[in-house]
Amino acid sequence: MFSGWNWAVHCFYLFLNICSFEVSGGLVQSCGHIIPESPVLALGSNFTALCILNESCLDFGNIYASQIIWKMKNKVVPKEQYREINITVSSVTFNDTSSLASPLTCNVLADGQIEQNIYGISVTVGLPPEKPENLSCIVYQLSNLRYPMNCTWNPGRHTFLDTHFRLKYRWSRESFPDCIPKSVNNSCTISDVQFFVNLEVWVEAANALGKAESDRLVFDPIEIVKPLPPHNLSVNSGILPTVLKLSWENRISAAVMKLKFNIRYRISSDTNWMQVPPEDTASPRTSFSIQGLRPYTEYVFSIRCMKEDGVGFWSDWSEEKVGVTTEDNPSKGPTVWRTIDASPSPAFWTVRLMWKALEPFEANGVILQYEVTVRAKPPLSHPPWRYNVTTTSLTLKLPNGTYEVTLIAHNRVGASPPSVLLIPSSNSKAPVKNIRTLPKDGKLWVGWTAPNNVLKYVIEWCLMSNSSDCITEWQVEPGNIQGTYLKGDIKPFKCYLITVYPLYADGQGSGQSVKAYLQQDPVSVDPSKTEYTLSSLTSDTLYTVRMMAYTDEGGRSGPDFTFTTQKFGRGEIEAIVVPVCLAFLLIVLLGVLFCFNKRDLIKKHIWPNVPDPSKSNIAQWSPQVPAKHNFSSKDQMYPEGSFTDVSVVEIEADDKKSFSEQDLKPFDLLKKEKSTSEGHSSGIGGSSCMSSPRQSVSDSDEGETTQNTSSTVQYSTVVLNGYRDQTPVQVFSRSESTQPLLDSEERLEDHAGGSDGTTQRQHYFKQNCGQDETKTDRPFFERAKQIISANEEDLAGFAQLQISGQSSQPLGFELEENTQEAALPDVLQTSTEGQTVRPETVEGNVPSVDEMPKSYLPQTVRQGGYMPQ
Amino acid sequence: MAAADIPSAALRHHDLCSRGIRLARKMRSDVTDLLDIYVERQGLDASISVAAVDGVPAAAAERWAEQSGTQRLLDNLAAYRAFRTLLAQMLEEQREQLGDADAELGPALAAVLLQVSAFAYHLEELLELESRGAPAEEGSEPPAPPRLSLFEQKLRGLGVLRELAQWAVRSVRDLRQLAKHGPGTTLEGSGTALGLPESQ
Repeated sequence: MFSGWNWAVHCFYLFLNICSFEVSGGLVQSCGHIIPESPVLALGSNFTALCILNESCLDFGNIYASQIIWKMKNKVVPKEQYREINITVSSVTFNDTSSLASPLTCNVLADGQIEQNIYGISVTVGLPPEKPENLSCIVYQLSNLRYPMNCTWNPGRHTFLDTHFRLKYRWSRESFPDCIPKSVNNSCTISDVQFFVNLEVWVEAANALGKAESDRLVFDPIEIVKPLPPHNLSVNSGILPTVLKLSWENRISAAVMKLKFNIRYRISSDTNWMQVPPEDTASPRTSFSIQGLRPYTEYVFSIRCMKEDGVGFWSDWSEEKVGVTTEDNPSKGPTVWRTIDASPSPAFWTVRLMWKALEPFEANGVILQYEVTVRAKPPLSHPPWRYNVTTTSLTLKLPNGTYEVTLIAHNRVGASPPSVLLIPSSNSKAPVKNIRTLPKDGKLWVGWTAPNNVLKYVIEWCLMSNSSDCITEWQVEPGNIQGTYLKGDIKPFKCYLITVYPLYADGQGSGQSVKAYLQQDPVSVDPSKTEYTLSSLTSDTLYTVRMMAYTDEGGRSGPDFTFTTQKFGRGEIEAIVVPVCLAFLLIVLLGVLFCFNKRDLIKKHIWPNVPDPSKSNIAQWSPQVPAKHNFSSKDQMYPEGSFTDVSVVEIEADDKKSFSEQDLKPFDLLKKEKSTSEGHSSGIGGSSCMSSPRQSVSDSDEGETTQNTSSTVQYSTVVLNGYRDQTPVQVFSRSESTQPLLDSEERLEDHAGGSDGTTQRQHYFKQNCGQDETKTDRPFFERAKQIISANEEDLAGFAQLQISGQSSQPLGFELEENTQEAALPDVLQTSTEGQTVRPETVEGNVPSVDEMPKSYLPQTVRQGGYMPQ
Repeated sequence: MAAADIPSAALRHHDLCSRGIRLARKMRSDVTDLLDIYVERQGLDASISVAAVDGVPAAAAERWAEQSGTQRLLDNLAAYRAFRTLLAQMLEEQREQLGDADAELGPALAAVLLQVSAFAYHLEELLELESRGAPAEEGSEPPAPPRLSLFEQKLRGLGVLRELAQWAVRSVRDLRQLAKHGPGTTLEGSGTALGLPESQ
């Protein structure tokens, strides 16, 4: 604060001086000055300043000392502090410099009115330095050769002045350069000091008001060394499993300093350090064997050092080093207990031996196996059973009797002392009495009245639950106690069944049980209420409720009421089932939508294309059909929309009248033959509504037809490539399908022989009845369109499909017109099996008769079974 | 921290001897290290033999065992004063040759120089206790050595450090003798049974 103020004063003073310079150098000559010039004053001291006027001003301006006015900043100093020494000198006195403010100016009233500044000074007020106190030094070892010394001191009060501190040091006959602190005023570091020579050290503080020196310290720097801690620690296993040898390197030469040490160590998993007795490490050394350690335990070591005589400072603790002791024999045998199940047969026991794994400090290594020996006691006589197991339990089936079980744990080094458990044939000894429990400090205490001569006690306990079996936990306690805490995770608000067994040297007492809770929840209920809802209960748990009524005089409890909470709470099942159902429905819905979108693809995979009878070598029709079916054209063709899936083969003879009776003969024969058949033809193999198979085409070989189709080939495919005036290619493919041929095909074939070669136009109509046949209908539509489109085209060179109507068809499809002559001797169709089948050549035209139906409709035509052309 | 209390003369003498011995041992240790650094930095062969250098006092003494304690102190003081001058000169030459870039040799030389000064101070204190007072140094400025070539400077430096190492050993022996017999003792005939001090 003061420094800021001083700075402002200096600035103002500089300004005044500049003004004065200008005035004196030019316009107005300076009329006086103040002494002392810019003094530094001790805070609280008195101060007198003199303003001395130049004599020249006396004559020039009639200015006298009596006219002088002293001002601090802009405040006039009271006249009482003035003193007119003579005509040109005026003084002002301040009894306490703390009331001073800069600048202090000397002014006059020129002409009695105008106040004019004569001179001004700045006054700096501060304190002399105090004697630095508490000087202390320490020599830090930075390396094997570098020993800087740091000294600190208390610089004393703030002086408000620029105060310099110097650390001075010297030998008695030789001085060294001062150590000057950088940025601080209370410490300084000498880069290197020399040991074994007394050094005199002190601090000097100085400012404008004076100097002060601290007390002088004389010491040998070797006495104030803080050495570096030993390094390169190593830990080696000793000969004994309880010994580790710690070695290290010292970083300070024994020629400079003899050292003593502190060694501390701890188990790795522990945070508490132990320390080697200091007197054991009070002499120079580079190794030490730490004894009394636990076998097979990981220890952490650290070491520090200082001058052997204790003069100086301890080093920091060294880096930590880990070492592991070697294994040793297990120090004790595992505690062992048993459960006996005599339920299957009272003569034989199922004895389950169980034991506790040894604690690490008992195991002294890795337990490799347990050796269990079971000896039968008289009257049973049996050589001992011996088992080597790696688990902590063993189940045996033994005859009812008395047994002695011996258990030994083995690690890599050796075996533990044996643990012995006597299993008497009956628990005939005295049991404990007055078993009781008490919750305490979050643990459950169980106590009992002990019988005499008990060797030890086994306390069993288990959590009682309706839903699961009682899982027994147990612990062993010495025979001299009459109560213990259960060592385990005892949960509050749970009922535990606790059983205490006393074990004697020659037998065992029967177990005495008690039910207990670690914590029960007392609830205070308003006396006016007769109902209370218990909340925060655990599901599927047995609870006991005891009501107690209290008056001012005391309380009395009613009988215990026990209930078991349900496994699922109200609404839990709904909360589970409803989302599951909704999710299932959503999945189903998504699946349906997906199938609907991909129905074409699915249909293709599930209902593959059935071989098209119309493309067989039996059925032939006009190849001049468009390659694809056009729905719009279909709509145009059947604007009434009375049927949807109709395939049409229109066979239009040039001269319907030209059919002779002979021509119709084969047809009649076919009709006759077919009329005997019970089957129905749909015109298209399995894709139609035909309900029963028909005789195959081969059957017709027995009739009067000219068919010579192989009996194994029942369908063929006719691929018609050709449109209008393009050269069609007719390919016949033998189908593998064994489905019966359609009536129409058969009829056509039947009539093929009767054809007279007249050019005919064929229209083939087929209507499917099944709605689910739409997919397979499409090819038929396409074919139909092809055929229709080819009506007016030249059909020469193509196989002719001869279709004859069949009056006997129960569903009344009719053959409208006969086909034209077909000749396809050279067109082959390769079957899927690679066989090349020469299609049957249909010779002659099937005569077309007026009575014949003009269209072919499958059995289940919805619109009356007839489609006019 | 030790205060500036004044022990009795015997205790003071013992203390000075004791610390002087430790200082000499440390000096011996540090000079040995410095020799390694010097040989390496100056590019010299450690096995090179250096003839006796002018102005460097020799540690070997005839009839050493017959010397009085005061005489021992005076010999030591003369030697270490000479070493102080020689080492200061070496430090100057080293700075001229290598500048301040060498961060090892210069500080090591300075540290040894400081120890030599400290040991000389010890000797002076002991002589004060002997009531003899330390002789004044001969002139503030020793006669300027003849101008040597760079290699000769290096060899002389090696000779100085080797001799200083020898002197550190001898000084330990001298101070042990002094400590054993107290101040002002003449050791005539008593040194025959003394063994060599442990070498550092």
